[in-house]
Amino acid sequence: MSSRRSRSRQSGVSTEITDAQITDLVSKLQQLIPELRARRSDKVSASKVLQETCNYIKNLHREVDDLSDRLSELLANTDSNSAQAAIIRSLLM
Amino acid sequence: MSSLQSNADSTNSEPLQRSNPKKRRKIGHTNSPTLVPWRSDTQQRIYSSKLAHALRHVLRRNHPPPPAKSNTGREVRETADRVLAATAKGRTRWSRAILASPLNRWKLRRMHKKVRKAATGLAKRSPETRRRLPVVQKKARVLGRLVPGCRKLSFPNLLEEATDYISALEMQVRAMTALTELLTGGTSHASA
Repeated sequence: MSSRRSRSRQSGVSTEITDAQITDLVSKLQQLIPELRARRSDKVSASKVLQETCNYIKNLHREVDDLSDRLSELLANTDSNSAQAAIIRSLLM
Repeated sequence: MSSLQSNADSTNSEPLQRSNPKKRRKIGHTNSPTLVPWRSDTQQRIYSSKLAHALRHVLRRNHPPPPAKSNTGREVRETADRVLAATAKGRTRWSRAILASPLNRWKLRRMHKKVRKAATGLAKRSPETRRRLPVVQKKARVLGRLVPGCRKLSFPNLLEEATDYISALEMQVRAMTALTELLTGGTSHASA
């Protein structure tokens, strides 16, 4: 495959990004995603890596949202009890 | 690997790195040691303590019980994201994007969700400027929307931002889970 130009439009300067760099970045990304970690990198297409990355990020976002909701409930509820409030205070101070 | 432009200081002495204030990026071959090691325990502890500190303000602000619509969850989420971005020390684009527009993010997100559904039928670029397979390009676009501030990033930079963002998100989940368990454990102990 021939090397392709960078997508960013810099006046008068064209950055050449080699496929090797892309492949390297994609494989690094693949290592992070638990679903794809076990598979060999030459068997996973870039498209699949991107797809799983998007899914993984969406899952992480959802987890953080759920945790945020739980945390907000816990913070609101534990205000009433003094023993718990003491724990919170020791934690937050 | 690739060198990211840092606003505060450029610790990367990569020869291809531009030092001008414009946001130009070049792909270099050196590692980026300036990025935060999201997996280390130290980082998680730093994040947890900052988060706890920030949540205290959220707690105080909502101490008179909030009205019927409880959007504290969203406040917690925004606080957690901001603290995460702050912990990143602003060396990545996504962290700077989060810190730059905290108020608009959620509204923008909802607006763009509607816009996205209407825009899926739009034509892509003309064939002669096709730089990647259209399939990969489409997915890269989706990814660019997921990572904050990376909508118009070049493909390699986008991958790099996504890599860091995922590690940061994982740490965020770990820290918040630990915090939740701590609070939940406190509840059961008090009632015993």
